[in-house]
Amino acid sequence: MQIYLPIAEMSVDAFLLVGVGLLVGWLSGLFGVGGGFLLTPLLLLLGIPAPVAVASGANQVLGASTSGMIAQARRNNVDWTMGVVLVLGGLAGSALGISFFAWLKGAGLVDAAVSLFYVIVLGTLGVLMVMESARAIRRRHRRAPPRRLHEHFWMHGLPFKLRFRKSRLFISVIPPLLVGGGVGLLSSIMGVGGGFMLVPAMIYLLGMPTAVVIGTSLFHVVCIAAAVTIMAAWQLGTVDIVLTLLLLAGGVAGAQFGAQMGSRLRGEETRFLLGALVLAVAAMLLWRLTTPPDQLFTLARG
Amino acid sequence: MMRRRLPLLSLLLLALGWLWPGGAARAQDLVARLSVERVELSTTFAGASVLVFGASERFLGPGGAEVIVVTRGPVVPQVVRQKVRILGMWFNGPAARFPDVPAFYAVAGTLPAWRLLPEPLRERYGIGLDQLPLRSTGARGPAFRAALLRLKQQQGLWQEDIAPVAISGGRLFHLEMPLPSSIPEGLYRVEVLLVDEGRVIAQETLSFEVQQVGTAAAIAAVSRDQPLLYGVICVLLAILAGWLGSVIFRRS
Repeated sequence: MQIYLPIAEMSVDAFLLVGVGLLVGWLSGLFGVGGGFLLTPLLLLLGIPAPVAVASGANQVLGASTSGMIAQARRNNVDWTMGVVLVLGGLAGSALGISFFAWLKGAGLVDAAVSLFYVIVLGTLGVLMVMESARAIRRRHRRAPPRRLHEHFWMHGLPFKLRFRKSRLFISVIPPLLVGGGVGLLSSIMGVGGGFMLVPAMIYLLGMPTAVVIGTSLFHVVCIAAAVTIMAAWQLGTVDIVLTLLLLAGGVAGAQFGAQMGSRLRGEETRFLLGALVLAVAAMLLWRLTTPPDQLFTLARG
Repeated sequence: MMRRRLPLLSLLLLALGWLWPGGAARAQDLVARLSVERVELSTTFAGASVLVFGASERFLGPGGAEVIVVTRGPVVPQVVRQKVRILGMWFNGPAARFPDVPAFYAVAGTLPAWRLLPEPLRERYGIGLDQLPLRSTGARGPAFRAALLRLKQQQGLWQEDIAPVAISGGRLFHLEMPLPSSIPEGLYRVEVLLVDEGRVIAQETLSFEVQQVGTAAAIAAVSRDQPLLYGVICVLLAILAGWLGSVIFRRS
């Protein structure tokens, strides 16, 4: 069934969009990532103009993540205190990232920088996660004695300590602020929500339990996606609500199935699968960067 | 959605009626009309076609006069980017900006226009994709112009002789012009030229409007006129959808 998108100014198959939403929403609920890194390329493949794809994608991620976040909150898996601290850092980081992005654009480096950055960040994260979780899974099978919750190092000596009860942490607010800020900076440069970077950062840098990480990350994604949606609608006029709602029709259902499936997985299994997914996306991007494009020229409004 | 179209035959008979109004008035060389005045972009729009039809008192076809139809949509800016290879990877490279090209352009004739008119005349009337005045800034080179022509044609937004103007009975002509779903809003001008022996002997200019209507138009209007409000609505709708989903798909 063809439906006309008023902002993208073109028509697309409605059922196809619902299917794409279902897939991305499922990943969102399972791993606590927004799924923007997968959604945007898929929408571009359907011929939707890039600015509309990014903005409407953020709007869809907002809806799907709300659904996932509610599901996680019911399982008591959202650390609201940690979430607020991360969002505060994230907003500051995004503001910094936007001006950095403008500078890159002025220097004419933007495409090369973003693409390379993406592959390097994703590749490194993916390898680290797969290796760590594989070790954890092997250790479980050997019935080794459980490790301590997390190792203590210099980070735990910092001031402004705050108790994050759900995360079973009593640490300084500085590391979460820096993590939120760093992810916000990177994600505003790369044009994605940053869930796939935030999840490993919370696990490995902050030492949070995997189950709580997913719910808290979803809270972060909800806040950032809402901010991006409003900015894009206000400043650029590129949010297509018809496109968003079609994607959401599949997305909210997918997020619930993902959350149900995720609750049956162990922490290290979830980390292993997310690591594998991140690696797969990095490989796909690298492949796209290195194979000669079938169209040497591209056309855009401007 | 387009207005319901009358059967082709009755339209052509109507055209004949215009051509010889009661027999008293002087017969006209050329009369042309469109099947629609407005193409409506509603939420179910998936492309449409416009029928250009008319008649001439001259004999049409081999040995007689010929017809050329040129359609131009609103003018838009376009950017063509070239991908370049750096260190074994492909990145967006130089770009050329074409500030004023027609968003839609279609030329069709009873025969290809280059066989009917000499180049100076085709240039004067802007007939044919090779006669579009494509001014550009930024990167130079014929490759960008060629890429613009190729990509626009692939999108179905620029058409040259994809279907001929059909002649019936040596007097009537019609052309079915497809419009892809990505046509933008605006005023579209249709020029119908009657051509004989390498000269334009009669000309009629028609137009139709492409317009968003209903829900699609309302959404586009709010997004344009109240962007901040629109953004807030989008956020609330997405959150509502997320909440609804978590209620509907909840399992105990």
